[in-house]
Amino acid sequence: MLFFLTLKQDYEVNIFPFQEKLKWDSRVVSYLSEPLPLAIIQLVLERLTKGHTCLFGEKSPKTIKNRILKILDDFSWDIDLTWKEVSKGASFLEDPLDLSEDIGNEAGKVFNQFVLGRQLSIDDLRGLARELRLKEEVIIKLAHFKVERGCAEWVPSVKQNEKGWQCQRCGEKDVEEWPSYYGVAATCRSCQSIGVRTSLNVLYRDKCSLLDGPTEILFEPHWTLTEAQRLASEHVAEFIKGTSKEAGLLWAACGAGKTEVCFPSAAWALTQGKSVLFAAPRQDVINDIAPRLQRDFPNYQIQVLTGTTSVKFQVGGMVLATTHQVLRFWRSFDVIFMDEMDAFPYHGSRALEWGLKQALRQGGKLLYLTATPSYEGLKAAQQGKISLIRLPARHHRNPLPVPIWIRSGNLLEANRSIGIWAKTIESLRGQGSVLAFVPKISWIAPWVKCIKQRFAGWCVDGSYSGDPGRGMKIKNLQQGHYDVFVSTTILERGITLPGIQVVVLGADHPVFDERALVQMAGRVGRTPENPGGRVVFLSKQISPAMKTAVQWIEEQNRRALELGLIEPLEKEGRSIEGVVERGI
Amino acid sequence: MKGLWREVSKASRKLWYTEKQSCVLCGAEHGPICITCRTNYLRPELRRCRKCGKLVQPEKQYCLDCSSGRGPKQLDQVTAWGHYSGGLKEFIHTVKFKAHPRLIGEISRPFSDWAIRQLPAVDGIVAVPMHRTRLAERGFNQAEVIASALHWELGLPILPGVERAESRSSQVFLSRKERLHNLKGIFVVRQPEYYRDRSVWLIDDVTTTGATLEAVAEVLRENGVKAIYGLCLAAGLEKVTEKRLVPLCD
Repeated sequence: MLFFLTLKQDYEVNIFPFQEKLKWDSRVVSYLSEPLPLAIIQLVLERLTKGHTCLFGEKSPKTIKNRILKILDDFSWDIDLTWKEVSKGASFLEDPLDLSEDIGNEAGKVFNQFVLGRQLSIDDLRGLARELRLKEEVIIKLAHFKVERGCAEWVPSVKQNEKGWQCQRCGEKDVEEWPSYYGVAATCRSCQSIGVRTSLNVLYRDKCSLLDGPTEILFEPHWTLTEAQRLASEHVAEFIKGTSKEAGLLWAACGAGKTEVCFPSAAWALTQGKSVLFAAPRQDVINDIAPRLQRDFPNYQIQVLTGTTSVKFQVGGMVLATTHQVLRFWRSFDVIFMDEMDAFPYHGSRALEWGLKQALRQGGKLLYLTATPSYEGLKAAQQGKISLIRLPARHHRNPLPVPIWIRSGNLLEANRSIGIWAKTIESLRGQGSVLAFVPKISWIAPWVKCIKQRFAGWCVDGSYSGDPGRGMKIKNLQQGHYDVFVSTTILERGITLPGIQVVVLGADHPVFDERALVQMAGRVGRTPENPGGRVVFLSKQISPAMKTAVQWIEEQNRRALELGLIEPLEKEGRSIEGVVERGI
Repeated sequence: MKGLWREVSKASRKLWYTEKQSCVLCGAEHGPICITCRTNYLRPELRRCRKCGKLVQPEKQYCLDCSSGRGPKQLDQVTAWGHYSGGLKEFIHTVKFKAHPRLIGEISRPFSDWAIRQLPAVDGIVAVPMHRTRLAERGFNQAEVIASALHWELGLPILPGVERAESRSSQVFLSRKERLHNLKGIFVVRQPEYYRDRSVWLIDDVTTTGATLEAVAEVLRENGVKAIYGLCLAAGLEKVTEKRLVPLCD
């Protein structure tokens, strides 16, 4: 969207959005004949005020206009620029769009509600116009009103400074430069999935807070916290209410219920008038948490935003969103809970990380929740830069199953090796359905076939990310239809399968890092009816990742035991450093 | 630190090895255009109607429309490099709507190599102009970017001074008849001295009915241009006449 450079009655230089049919603000006296991109206008204004503070005596509209024309002349474009006067009573185009007073106020209030704390592109604003059933020009005008009142600002989407370019939405500095009608322009390559941003277009940044002030909220937890959870919850509250560290890490065991631990602190924050964000990298995690939040906070408006929600603009002081949607917020949240920080696509994405930090207000608190912290997160915790909170025990007070290693023959491939995997699977099947993880999609079909052949009469199937029948199969799996189910890492997180046993085929494959292994092991023993279970790593060698994964799990158990959060049972598995069980 | 090392190793690799380019249209190896994409989108063995650029059967010179006098009259020949579908369509979309005009540079070599074999050499190249407002919004005119790539590769001069005086609605949603009507009188030649007695290539990114090219050509003829050859990256397939075209699979 382009802007007109305008001159008001009080000699103030200003901008006005270029939209056909939009009527001029009544205080505008003259305007520059061609609309320009915001970045150019900001450059002009910068040059206008640089080193000319002694202009007070000779400030007249004519000098200002001439100086602006001279500055634009330096750019040597092909455009013919002159100053035009706004004639009284007339408007920019015949048949202007005018808002009658009451529609204007009503629309303004509604608009305001929906854009609190947000950072929106023109396409997003168009989307809002559609949802509110208003004309696009009306929305732009309302947006500009807010900017004029100082409650919001227009920002060029990709800004240039002395060192180079930076996308204002995702912080990416690696942009694609190209020569445009207005000199060099740049397109951001990172955040294209939610809309293309270039240095020629703008973002609307709202400065208002999501909440007006302290609110009365009804918090009805449906879940009595276990001892372990209660402890952790207190630490979380301490961190949120305290002032020392800005970021914290809640390192929980798989299936320990880390999300519910944060609910009391979220409730406290809302009563204080602080806005809360629950963020997660993937939609399925969001869809999993949404009903739990809504149940514990009945009658409170929670915004649930993912790539596929039909209503993109919602109202509420608590937001549950994917990390991509968080790019549409700016300095809006006092408290952010970031779940699964080590999962795709958040992990390793500079843009999403930057976006999350930008969504935090000054003086806000950011808590990462995970069972498998990233390397950077752990390091920061060890160095004392961020607070570390532990939640090492599951609610049923049983220890985490420790994986055991069984050495397999050469190259673990279906049909190649004999017996070892078959014996393992058979033995695991004795205790419950078996979930077999494989490192690559190409392994699935041969393994399913091979297992079916060996165990005639068993119900065996497999799935992967691109499988169209995935949803159905996962449902069947949850209902216990299969004897053996072969899968890639899609099932490593988030899913609870009662009584499941896990075997990882080819556990030393580079695709399985320590985090994936911990998560896979974490599928076992999540329910109180089946708190135990076995996890077997089948591979030729022990990779460093396998060692670390087992160390982490054992450390959680040790910690839990120390704190008296689990029963001192005899541990099921043997550690890798100890006895190595050989298959025959 | 890691980023710095990556940049240094990338730069030193460029010194020692020629980077293997991936296909611009589908991302496979063997760029800039891989053989699969060449077969699917560029179809060099099929002929185009000499008047309007639509695909015709190999033994024919003109399509049915043009033979019966309904084709463009002001252009001497119209041709297009490929079909506006699949990977090529996505490529053009990325350039235009996702603001990556630099991508044209990736295909400028194969495109210009092909163009100079298809059309006679001319005095200059003219890009179909965009209206000021649209140009201001988008920041660039994709036809101009293509023309500039051709100029860079082949040395043919770019002729300025043709403007789109009025902005009308995009051609995309109009029928053939509406398209022809939509374009009446909107192009103007501001600097006729470049055009008298010259021959030109007229460049646009996509052509469907040839109506836009025809409208510009009309105004060029009025200013004394002797020969006009229309050249586009891709030719669209008109839904109505699709039945009369050669099917793309044998």
